[in-house]
Amino acid sequence: MTDYTPFIKVQELTYCYPDGTKALEGINMSISEGEFIAFIGQNGSGKTTLSKCLNGLFKPTSGDVIVDGLNSKTTSIVQMVRRVGYVFQNPDHQLFNSNCWDEIAYGPRNILLPEDEVKIRVEESASVVGLPEMYFEEHPFFLTKGLRQRVAIASILALKPKVIIVDEPTTGQDVRQSLEIMDFLMDLNIKLGHTIIIITHDMPIVAQYAKRVLVMGLGKILSDGPTAEVFSQPGVLAMTFIEPPQITQLAQRVQFLGFSLGTLTVDEMVQQFERLKPMDHQPQ
Amino acid sequence: MSAIIEIENYSWRYLYTKDPSLNNIHLTVEEGEFIGIIGPNGSGKTTLAYSMNGLIPGQYHGIKQGTVKVLGKEVEEYPRGALQHLVGVVFSDPEMQFTAMTVEDELVFGMENLGLSIPEIKERLEWVLELTNLTHLLYKPPYEISGGQKQRVALAAVLAMMPKIMILDEPTSMLDPVSRIRIFNVLQKIKQEQHNTIIVIEHNLENLIPLADRMILLSNSELLLEDETRSFFQHIDLLLEKGIQPPGAMRFFHRLQQAGYYHGNLPLTVEEAAEKLTEIFNSTGAARWSPEQGVRP
Repeated sequence: MTDYTPFIKVQELTYCYPDGTKALEGINMSISEGEFIAFIGQNGSGKTTLSKCLNGLFKPTSGDVIVDGLNSKTTSIVQMVRRVGYVFQNPDHQLFNSNCWDEIAYGPRNILLPEDEVKIRVEESASVVGLPEMYFEEHPFFLTKGLRQRVAIASILALKPKVIIVDEPTTGQDVRQSLEIMDFLMDLNIKLGHTIIIITHDMPIVAQYAKRVLVMGLGKILSDGPTAEVFSQPGVLAMTFIEPPQITQLAQRVQFLGFSLGTLTVDEMVQQFERLKPMDHQPQ
Repeated sequence: MSAIIEIENYSWRYLYTKDPSLNNIHLTVEEGEFIGIIGPNGSGKTTLAYSMNGLIPGQYHGIKQGTVKVLGKEVEEYPRGALQHLVGVVFSDPEMQFTAMTVEDELVFGMENLGLSIPEIKERLEWVLELTNLTHLLYKPPYEISGGQKQRVALAAVLAMMPKIMILDEPTSMLDPVSRIRIFNVLQKIKQEQHNTIIVIEHNLENLIPLADRMILLSNSELLLEDETRSFFQHIDLLLEKGIQPPGAMRFFHRLQQAGYYHGNLPLTVEEAAEKLTEIFNSTGAARWSPEQGVRP
């Protein structure tokens, strides 16, 4: 045992909605600084509810969520959102100011930072997400979805949370835009040291970017571990209506040829082929 | 089969924009065909969808050239509202489509507008509820259900009207993988049983490919590629160049092609890929590793 304490610790968390629906039950887990995690699971499995418990938007019905030593039950939402930021699935549900500058400044102003500090934070966040100055005075609704998502992320970044949760970062984006957003999140993770949690149904994206995967089903954690390990358990995934990426499925179907159950990317598959290929099957 | 949609020399530019959103499009869709439309965001996919059900030019201002015919008649010739009975569109943002306060009202609204009898409405309602697995949500308001459930309501509402032609604009973007498969199974079923013409716009190709008879690539307002599905994907270099990401198994075989290990057609499904990969190993490996030769090194 070490005396190391994780940044987030969740103990026996249960959450019921006001109408009595039990959305989370008996959740135990911890998250360390600098992790890149994906929450996956069927629609309605509790991914978003768990995220909202992590940033204090929802208070546990029973059990505890402890972030940076603070128990969410006794900590104000203002203190919580400075530590864990949550970017909504649909940026339009989050953006409400009439220009991008005010949108990004809203959080810092709300935690009563002086106006000169607000200005610094807006400029920093906008530059991190790559939002050009020409958009500062624009109404967010006139931007493309990709840019709106950047504004939404910038408005969360302005609070400088250690942990950033992004709900469905790639929905409605084409492949290039998706990779751009994911590369950006990876930069936040690697260069700036933010802990990143993504909630997604896009398994190839999970395979490519997440180091750890948490599988949710019916309000419980069904599996939690390194990405390759989790995708090697098709049985667990099927319980929550998830399929591993197609390349992983292919590797699993030809496992008898020597391919690994935990193959995550096309590159890995090609490398294995090079190693396993019959000797007289040389390139022509 | 006969042509159900005929698009000729068609260009559309929205008012106040500099460049056309669609440029000189030629496309014929046969009755009963299942067509997949792919392309980067902003390439004109949704504009093309709206052009086929008369939303363009009806509801949008812009400049049109060329002709778009549905069932042999130009879209402008249909009386207001009539074309929408023939061509149903499931929008990519389901919230755009909702008007009612419960899922049930939402589903019934379109059928009432068609003037269907109450028994007919009841029958169709049961049918779509079962197909789309929505029975338990019947009395919920649309804003209280999840994104994925909303997409299923949007699809069910259009299905219930039984349009001859169905256009689905990214119908599964918010769905988990298995709900996604379920939607595509529904599409396959209605294709087989009712011979609807189905046009699907999608970024996620894995589920679309096995169903599509024909695929279309739009890029930068132009129709760049159009072919029967298997031949279409033999142009994988062009697709990759245009930012399309074919499914993992296909990309893996493309890499094998590039390295000279494989010379056949690219597999369309994971089953096909597994078969082909096993063949590669068997055809050469089996002969080589006969028991007489002893242990495989």
